Amino acid sequence: QTIDGPKVEWNFSTWGKKRAFTAGIEKVAEIVSQRTAGKFTIKIHYAEALSKDKENLDGIKIGAFEMADFCNFYHPGKNPAYMVLSLPFLSLADWNVSKDVREAMLKHPAFVADMAQWNAQAYMSGLLPQYEFLGKGKPPATIEDWKGLRVRAGGGIGDAMRVLGAVLSTVPATEVYTAIERGTVDAASFPFTYAHAAYQVHTVTDWFTSNLSPGTAECNSVINKDAYAKLPPQYQKLLQEAKEPAYAALVNAYVEIDKVNLPLFKSKLKEVVYTDAELKKFREVAGKPVWDKWVADNKGKFDAQNVLDTVVKEIEKAEAKHKKKS
Amino acid sequence: MHNAAATTAGGGALGAIDRAMHALEKFTALISGLGIFGLMLLGVVQIFGRKFFNAPIFGYIDIVEIAMSALVFLGLAYTERLGGHIRMELIVTHLRGRWQWMFELIGVILGLIIVAVLIFYSWEHAMRAYRSGDSTIDAQYVLWPSKMIVPVSLALLSLRLMISLWGYLRLLSDPDAAPIAVPEVIDVEEQALRDAEAAGVDVERGIAPDGGRSG
Amino acid sequence: MELTKDAIGLIGCLALIVLVFAGVRVYIAAALVGLAGIVAIIGWKAGAGIVGTIPHSKSVNYTLSVLPLFILIGYLAYHAGITQSLFDAAKKWMGWMPGGLAIATVFAVAAFSAVSGASTAAAAVFARVAIPEMLKAGYAKRLAAGVVSAGGTLDALIPPSVIMVVYAIIVEASVGKLIIAGFLPGLISALCYTLIIVVWSVIDPTVGRPIRGFTWGERFASLPGTVPVIGVIVIIFSAMYYGWATPTEAGALGAFVVYVLALFKGMRWKPFNDALLETAKLTVMIFAIIWGILIFVRFLGFAGVPEKFSEWVVSLPLPRVIIMIGILGVYLILGCFMDAIGMMLLTLPVVYPAVIKLGYDPIWFGIIVVKMAGVCLLTPPIGLNCFVVAAVRPDIPLSTVFRGALPFVIADFLAIAIFLAWPESITWLPDQIMK
Ligand code: NA
Ligand code: NA
Repeated sequence: QTIDGPKVEWNFSTWGKKRAFTAGIEKVAEIVSQRTAGKFTIKIHYAEALSKDKENLDGIKIGAFEMADFCNFYHPGKNPAYMVLSLPFLSLADWNVSKDVREAMLKHPAFVADMAQWNAQAYMSGLLPQYEFLGKGKPPATIEDWKGLRVRAGGGIGDAMRVLGAVLSTVPATEVYTAIERGTVDAASFPFTYAHAAYQVHTVTDWFTSNLSPGTAECNSVINKDAYAKLPPQYQKLLQEAKEPAYAALVNAYVEIDKVNLPLFKSKLKEVVYTDAELKKFREVAGKPVWDKWVADNKGKFDAQNVLDTVVKEIEKAEAKHKKKS
Repeated sequence: MHNAAATTAGGGALGAIDRAMHALEKFTALISGLGIFGLMLLGVVQIFGRKFFNAPIFGYIDIVEIAMSALVFLGLAYTERLGGHIRMELIVTHLRGRWQWMFELIGVILGLIIVAVLIFYSWEHAMRAYRSGDSTIDAQYVLWPSKMIVPVSLALLSLRLMISLWGYLRLLSDPDAAPIAVPEVIDVEEQALRDAEAAGVDVERGIAPDGGRSG
Repeated sequence: MELTKDAIGLIGCLALIVLVFAGVRVYIAAALVGLAGIVAIIGWKAGAGIVGTIPHSKSVNYTLSVLPLFILIGYLAYHAGITQSLFDAAKKWMGWMPGGLAIATVFAVAAFSAVSGASTAAAAVFARVAIPEMLKAGYAKRLAAGVVSAGGTLDALIPPSVIMVVYAIIVEASVGKLIIAGFLPGLISALCYTLIIVVWSVIDPTVGRPIRGFTWGERFASLPGTVPVIGVIVIIFSAMYYGWATPTEAGALGAFVVYVLALFKGMRWKPFNDALLETAKLTVMIFAIIWGILIFVRFLGFAGVPEKFSEWVVSLPLPRVIIMIGILGVYLILGCFMDAIGMMLLTLPVVYPAVIKLGYDPIWFGIIVVKMAGVCLLTPPIGLNCFVVAAVRPDIPLSTVFRGALPFVIADFLAIAIFLAWPESITWLPDQIMK
């Protein structure tokens, strides 16, 4: 039945166009409007119409809009604890595991503190898919093959690649296509599969990694704290209820895209699959040192060791839970 | 190209302040110009470093983005003084005397209003970056100095606009006085000639070397 | 009574028109109206706060960094005599036609477009090279300023092109296909400009006389002068082709090559110093307009103006050609008030899916949008290319530049009509090269 209440119009700031990444929040907007007969609406502003992607947290703090998307890697300094989810080789490839771990981390005091300085509170994760590499030339069949490879990778993945001896070259996403086609870089990492396909990377490459899972990042939809506090309790409750169906819609959108892209990649490109032993080696050689360095670098700012331990613990917990079910 | 040197000595206190300010403006504009030249060199180093030494500059995009702020804002006041900021002259060119100075004055006042608001809130923006430790994507360089260049450049612009305000108020009280410390109207033919010369055209023989034979 | 967002949006648009016509500097007028409008919609603290973030966040952008570099290329090329010799050769080969110097300008800009990625930079460079010669030869200021403003828009069609990349990114179309697709429409546009110049000069012979009397010897003698340009083009394209440089980095390489050429031509500290100051001035002026207008565009975003406009147009129960013409009309109107990239960013998310649903080709529509973005650079009250020409030539009033650009807007419509009637003129080449 319809939820009654005052007329509330919220603005949501995001970048880019309507796509899988925005499917979750679109579902939320649909649900709240439907259940309140249009009394509570969330209007999604695409294409940075309200704010530049990297300034969305500023806009939330100022109160220019009630909700917004942001990604942790856009500005590590603005959300130091969130950067833990950008560490390389965290096992977040499974959708259910990814969702549970991220949901748990959003409640961690360090995560809450990161957002509090922007007068924000996390609402739901964008469940950014695991990154994989697409590349041109000889496929890197072993860990040693990455040495000397010119790669486009950022954040924790970039750090890991450097440990492996790869050469990092910063190229904006919009130029990756040309950079690979012309050999300026050999390989690029992007959220798999949708971002590779969006930038047409698969049309200029020869191979792709499908189980390297070098890392991911955290993009989140946040709410201005004051706006949330002002919301009538029945609307607050509705927002929380909308999360589950929204996550389902989000995962479904990514899965649908993979259903199209994966066969396409497999038919055109050579799939590089690593054995469990090799993956373990990747994690030990290129993962662990980066984790340790991250903890050391952030010691003074917050309890970095605890944040890292919590992630690891939550991953184990979620993996056990979902393994049992399946 | 405007001839800023046209405001040479004289003009009393206003003229002296204008000249001092213009020296400062020119200095900041030159920093910006040299920065753009540096941006070019950096790009070349990036290309050759990657090609021949397999060693691209780490955080190249970050450096470019941080530096851009200086390249595109520092010259704001310089450009304002030289009348380089674009506007539509459709109406103002037909105005004379007090009316002309009145319109110019209104433009300066509106400019001061928006610039004042922007100084305060771009300062706030820079301070948010300073307090939160905002950093760039790849190399994680601190961002606040880049953001701070905006209010600093706008502050210089507001000084320039205040000098213009004084200049136009003076002209409003005495519309026939020689303009001092305001963007000036250029002698059209002199300007065209100078431009043609700078473009490498032989001015003595006329712009079109074939001028006698054409038509 | 409280004003609705629609009303605030409308008042804002009218206020901008009034201020711009009253001679207020465009960046100040746009920023001020934008601020007032945003504050009216979301209040002072949030509104002024968000406006304070825009100058830095919108200017400091890696892809926009090609702009100062292309402006620098322009001024260095001017000292290296590059643009001059291009123009000389074009003049000697094409000057005999009615309005010959203007036609020469069109083709010299078209050639220059292959080393430049920004329409405004191309307009700035040729405002310095071609306008003085045309004026000395007795050409009307209208024609001289108009052809340079319009010629500059060819830069967006002929690769490299910043705006083309922006479109490809927004709609996720193939960058490669789009870039190849630009050549033929670029040529068609240049021919349409030529046609308009000829017609205009035949109707009114005083606007631009033919420049005759060059011997074949002189014509061939002008060709070696174009070798440096061809050299620069070859270096830039091979750098990109062989993967030494990304398109943005290639801008730096191009500037460097031209700088070396200028040194060989004997450029010393004084002209170098002047070139740096001029580059800084034009860069600041263009970026001030970019962030000023983007404050206004942000206000339009809060008011929901562009969206509402697009939604309404697409919902009409009409044949698709009529709807397409309607969409072009929307772009024409929006383009009067907005910068090209802002216009694309705001409308494409709404318009593009509808266009595709109507059965149009993404690459084809890309060229059409880039073409409309070109028109946007020529129409008052906000037409960036006309602003640039007026800035470089303070002796030519902005209103004269706009009047001079008008016939070329008509030529643009002619070109668009050709693209509408024969979509293959756009899609054929990329389909041949890239399957
Ligand atoms: Na071009
Ligand atoms: Na326009």
